[in-house]
Amino acid sequence: MSEVQRRKYSQEERSVIFDGEFMPHIDSMYNFAFRLTFDEDDAKDLVQDTYMKAFRFINSFEQGTNAKAWLFRILKNSFINDYRKKSKKPATVDYQEVETFYNSDDVDYQSTSDLRAESVKDMLGDEISNALNGLAVDFRTVIILADLEGFTYEEMAKILDIPIGTVRSRLHRARNLLKDSLKSYAQSMGYGRDEEED
Amino acid sequence: MENKDASSPERKLQCSDVGKCFQLLERILDGELVEGGNEMLQEKLDQCQPCFAHFHLEQAIREVLKTKCTKQPLPDKLAESIRQMIQDAR
Ligand SMILES: [Zn+2]
Repeated sequence: MSEVQRRKYSQEERSVIFDGEFMPHIDSMYNFAFRLTFDEDDAKDLVQDTYMKAFRFINSFEQGTNAKAWLFRILKNSFINDYRKKSKKPATVDYQEVETFYNSDDVDYQSTSDLRAESVKDMLGDEISNALNGLAVDFRTVIILADLEGFTYEEMAKILDIPIGTVRSRLHRARNLLKDSLKSYAQSMGYGRDEEED
Repeated sequence: MENKDASSPERKLQCSDVGKCFQLLERILDGELVEGGNEMLQEKLDQCQPCFAHFHLEQAIREVLKTKCTKQPLPDKLAESIRQMIQDAR
């Protein structure tokens, strides 16, 4: 993960790393890019840029280490630096604002949700996707990394350049927001209403 | 063993420490290693109704995100064009 140049790979080694360790993640990379930008062309550009950068900085990648996390980190940085500014979507709430508002490690865990596990299981993929897409980009990002891509807290901390405690609290918040959104959806559809008798 | 039901008379209806319990449950669900986690988890699920409900809801959320979220198909020529760009850059 560090930017330190270890040694120079030969031409052949570079091809082996690029084809063998970088390219297999292209589907996940594209999905991530699309969920960040909501635009096919932007997502394509973002993935291409990421692979170009990965190639250019290949000497700072240590062969056999976590290539997927390394690539995701580049993609996320490219998104913040190049795409977020010119995004067609109206600006959503920002990292900083969010975290100064909710002091990062100090998260309230309450049983707020009267959403039922059964109603969640009954929901369609589109409903889940829409709820996810409706979250502010920083919340969306942690859910994508954790739940869609299966990264650990530690990997996420490296990808996002934030402490593990912040990963945990941001993820918790993100899931609460997602639950709120699914809950209003469930209510509007009448899922699981019939059992409520308290 | 029988405690698979959504509600069970053996479970208390108030959680004694929601903050600590829920954080623990969520870390376990996220696959983070927690010392003695499995024993604690079993105990919570057997004895505490809010913990039981929270665990199953959180599990369901993770499950649907993982399995049902629509995947964006990779555009046809993308991989090819990236390989080409790299070729040209060499
Ligand atoms: Zn409890």
